[in-house]
Amino acid sequence: MSTRPPTLREKRRYILARIEPAGTMLEQKELYYAISDATTSLWGDATTAIITPAVVALEFGHVVIRCRRGTERELAIALSTVTACRDVRICLRIIAASGTIESLRSRFRPKKTPKAKTQPAPEPESEKTDTVIDAGIEPVLPECTFVKKTFIIVQCNGQKVDVIEKGFKNTNRLFLTKDDLENLNATTISDRI
Amino acid sequence: MKITDAAVYPYPLGDASVRRLALEAAALGFDSIVAADTPSGTYGGVEVRSGLMIRDVPIKDVISAVKRSKDSGRVISVNAANNNFNRAVIGLKGVHILRGIQSADKLAFDHVAAKMAADNRVAVDIDLSPIMMGRSVVRQRAIHRYMDIMVLEQRFEFPITLSTHARSFLDMRNVRDITGICSLIGMDIMDVERALAGVDFVLTPPVPSVRVIA
Repeated sequence: MSTRPPTLREKRRYILARIEPAGTMLEQKELYYAISDATTSLWGDATTAIITPAVVALEFGHVVIRCRRGTERELAIALSTVTACRDVRICLRIIAASGTIESLRSRFRPKKTPKAKTQPAPEPESEKTDTVIDAGIEPVLPECTFVKKTFIIVQCNGQKVDVIEKGFKNTNRLFLTKDDLENLNATTISDRI
Repeated sequence: MKITDAAVYPYPLGDASVRRLALEAAALGFDSIVAADTPSGTYGGVEVRSGLMIRDVPIKDVISAVKRSKDSGRVISVNAANNNFNRAVIGLKGVHILRGIQSADKLAFDHVAAKMAADNRVAVDIDLSPIMMGRSVVRQRAIHRYMDIMVLEQRFEFPITLSTHARSFLDMRNVRDITGICSLIGMDIMDVERALAGVDFVLTPPVPSVRVIA
């Protein structure tokens, strides 16, 4: 079967969204099911068929979602109702929409500096972590204390610190700031917050 | 005009500290947030207003709770119940917001309550969480109720507030997303702007139309 000429192909648009919390490990297929479920739930089968959402790329904590031209608004609303992906709580923050994937990729791919080219190639393990952790994230600190409990820091980006309680009983993620850790107790914040 | 999320629940009610919620709110385009059981202040350029959410109590307890925190500067909101309760709450001086209208009776908020809300400057809160997180019947019911509220709002022009009821920063949405979600209930951009400024509106004392000089 020969491919259609460009003038006969249906026009597509691509939406770039950031996945939060940062560092969440997701599979492209699972994310597609979550988005498809959200779109179908909100707009119904008929409109979802017109939108034809598809996850075309999932890298560097960002996702590129394809839709038919003219249905970006509907897809964007549906994306704001995505709250979980296979029992993992996530949130999709839309950054941009474009007619080509390449222009969106240039927005989230880390830019290669000339200095980086001269450096030796990184080890395979560090390559793996690069796909998970965004560029610009500070080195992760091991432990911290909050409300008299010990937490393990899993993500640290500027003021934002994501922690998980140490141990195996409570593995819920808490979202704090560096100031919270210094004051130890967010519930007793003084008037100067 | 301050763009405000009318209800967020920081730690320990949620899983994010109030500072983190304020930081995220700033990134999402908000100027202020109303946080439950949190002292007011400013963090990261976002004003954190202290909120008092009264729920599941008889009207006597509501009156005493409102009296206790009348001049505390807190945003006082009461959960809606039946029609009589709602009318009594709207008539109370010091109540700013009537919440949870989507889970109240079908006739809990009628045209009389709408007129009273407009006269007393009591806002009706539109909780976006059932639309964002609910599925099927829950979402459909919420959309239907909000559309009904918007019909009354167009007629009586009572204040509206928008809230995400976020217990985590993952539940918060940016202003553009909120505009999109609100379009599902028939709100245009002007309505959304007015609703996002709703908390500021109900906290500002009304300017008298006639001023007596000497």
